[in-house]
Amino acid sequence: MLFNSIDFAIFLPIVFVLYWFVTSKNLRLQNALLLVASYFFYSCWDWRFLFLLVFSTLLDYFTGLKMQEAKSKKGKWFWFWLSVIVNLGFLGVFKYYNFFVESFSEALSQIGLQVNPWTLNIILPVGISFYTFHGLSYVIDIYQGRIKAERNFVDYAVFVSFFPLLVAGPIERATHLLPQIKRQRTFDYVKAIDGLRQILWGLFKKVVIADNCAEFANQIFNNSADHSGSTLVLGAIFFAFQIYGDFSGYSDIALGTARLFGIDLLRNFAFPYFSRDIAEFWRRWHISLSFWFKDYLYIPLGGSKGGNWMRIRNTLVIFIVSGFWHGANWTFIVWGALNALFIIPSIIMKANRNNMENVAQGKLLPTVREFFQIVVTFTLTVFGWIFFRAENIGHAFQYISGIFSKSLFSIPTIQPYYIVLLIILFILIEWFGREEQYAIANLGLKWRKLFRYAFYYAIIITIFWYAGKEHQFIYFQF
Amino acid sequence: MKKFLVRTFFFFFPFVVISYPLDYGISYFLSKSNDASGEFEVWSDIYSSKVNCDIAIYGSSRAWVHIDPQIIADSLNQSVYNFGINGHNFWLQYLRHLELEKHNKSPKVIVLSVDVFSLQKREDLYNPDQFLPYMLWNSNIANFTKSYKGYNGTDYYIPLIRYAGKFEALKSSIKHAVMNTSDIHYRTNGFKGMDREWNTDLEKAKSNNVSYEIELDNKSIELFELFIQECDANHTDLILVYTPEYIDGQNYVSNRKDVIDIYKNLAVKYQLTFLDYSNDSICLNKQLFYNASHLNKKGACVFSKKLAKDIKYERIMTQL
Repeated sequence: MLFNSIDFAIFLPIVFVLYWFVTSKNLRLQNALLLVASYFFYSCWDWRFLFLLVFSTLLDYFTGLKMQEAKSKKGKWFWFWLSVIVNLGFLGVFKYYNFFVESFSEALSQIGLQVNPWTLNIILPVGISFYTFHGLSYVIDIYQGRIKAERNFVDYAVFVSFFPLLVAGPIERATHLLPQIKRQRTFDYVKAIDGLRQILWGLFKKVVIADNCAEFANQIFNNSADHSGSTLVLGAIFFAFQIYGDFSGYSDIALGTARLFGIDLLRNFAFPYFSRDIAEFWRRWHISLSFWFKDYLYIPLGGSKGGNWMRIRNTLVIFIVSGFWHGANWTFIVWGALNALFIIPSIIMKANRNNMENVAQGKLLPTVREFFQIVVTFTLTVFGWIFFRAENIGHAFQYISGIFSKSLFSIPTIQPYYIVLLIILFILIEWFGREEQYAIANLGLKWRKLFRYAFYYAIIITIFWYAGKEHQFIYFQF
Repeated sequence: MKKFLVRTFFFFFPFVVISYPLDYGISYFLSKSNDASGEFEVWSDIYSSKVNCDIAIYGSSRAWVHIDPQIIADSLNQSVYNFGINGHNFWLQYLRHLELEKHNKSPKVIVLSVDVFSLQKREDLYNPDQFLPYMLWNSNIANFTKSYKGYNGTDYYIPLIRYAGKFEALKSSIKHAVMNTSDIHYRTNGFKGMDREWNTDLEKAKSNNVSYEIELDNKSIELFELFIQECDANHTDLILVYTPEYIDGQNYVSNRKDVIDIYKNLAVKYQLTFLDYSNDSICLNKQLFYNASHLNKKGACVFSKKLAKDIKYERIMTQL
């Protein structure tokens, strides 16, 4: 069930009404309803993978309890590693097995040994990377004594499978979400209206920006050899807006939906394309994943404590692992490594924490320097996206060599003016809303009701005009 | 909560109120257009009960562009309408038949153009926009199109939803609301003679050296037999016609002969007339075709005359 489908438009009000009218006086019932709704939501993709989700939930629930009850360090250690190995084992089998055996077989063929690897003919369960990371963060937090194991299975299962975040995040932490699940929720009008507004903006990003950009990005990337350098540049820019609109749109819908149920999820995007350096970009892009890797990988590896070499090594590790988390393909690994290379100079110069505030905070426009920094950061990011989007490394290099050809300065062969106009309008709205949680959080709140409603109606009509394609969200494949 | 529900209700209320009238308006003007390869013209004629013909021609594009109803009408002195539906197999040809019967007088004779693709069923709903103006709360359209990849369940029951993202249809509707173009027709009594020269589709297919095997759809075959039985029960004369295909393209479908044999056997089983032009002399004349399976305007004229003559000779029309 996609967020941008009619099915979801029917599902959501039904769950909302049951939640606030039928079960609101009983927290246990309310959580049970959320769990049933979440499992139904998940089973709409493929009910068979529901067993995997339930198994993964049961595993972490029981190993969490066992770790807490363990009387010796050894016992605690055993249950911790059992959970980690089984969780990563599932991820390895479903997501990475074919990649590893194929890469191994290719490596052998390079030295003259021919093997026919046994590959699995399986589809990737939707959201496996996300709910596995949920579970891992929970058991790691228990192991490190940050939290206590949850005794109520339903509450824990809602934490793992709450439907707005189940298939593509944000990757939640038990310390943030579990207390909200265990607390009696009361309906908050302002929060609910804000949630609806965020859903609206998320749908706009997905349906209007991402899906339109996707059409041309796909056209250009799929036939990259036939296009001029300037068209290839355009294709990469379209993909940059496609993936941003797609993933941040999804996150907005997830956050907005959760708010309708009185739950606040972690923020996942903070206007990353207005970043002034790559370090700032990564503090603003897929925030919940970046912080997951920071807390559970970067810091355990030593973090920033051991001097420059240690920091560089750790940065490389988390970016490569992060790239690999996205998919079993060398393109993602190169994309991760490339971003690490972009960020390393600022680490060496200790400039990676220079831009912690919003750009042009409290001002209408950025300075020339800031504008220049934004353009450079965006260019580097777009360059990285070429690897992310390419079918394989060869395709990425072919695409890049196509850009740096004589035809770079020719007029693009594809000229979708209406999308360019939509993107400009989108950038403007995002710019003026960049100090908020999402771009239209405050936009028009002080206008007369007539104009405010007209603005929302205009967004709805634009979504309606461009809807109907029902493209999958890109991050569902991760 | 009450405030939230009231405000949400009033926010969406205008959409609910205008959705049906807007749907009606969009559908009305869209149905007046000659877009969707002229399919709107045929559907609108059916739904406005304007047809009431003696002879109905059914089939795919190979009926639509091959059989000129005017030539048949002049020759047989009967009213004729061509209901050929572009790109669709028998499954949707039968839908058109159902809607014709529901809204018009039943034809006395049905000339059904069959071909190698008739008993296949495609996965996608080709030219889906043609159903837009008529599909709201239309159970026949819902029953016959929902098995294709095209529309969702809600598209058939909730006003306006199906127009989401349908730029071309919306633009077309607005265009026809602003400009009165109802006098400009794409088809004449459902027929369109294609004024085209031979194209290179066949040469391209040959260079790819591709052979194609038709996968017969059992449900379509059952429906086909049911249709034959219905015609018999209603005393409607059914004539099966296999219209010409250019000779060089005939080997493209590996099981072509087997499919034609199905029609032959059904014709014997139900005592139907089967006019088989699959090896007619027309098939040898490239100038009468614009591709391997479609006659051009000149070819359609030659073939329609021949068909009219053959129908006469077969004395099928004696009871008319």
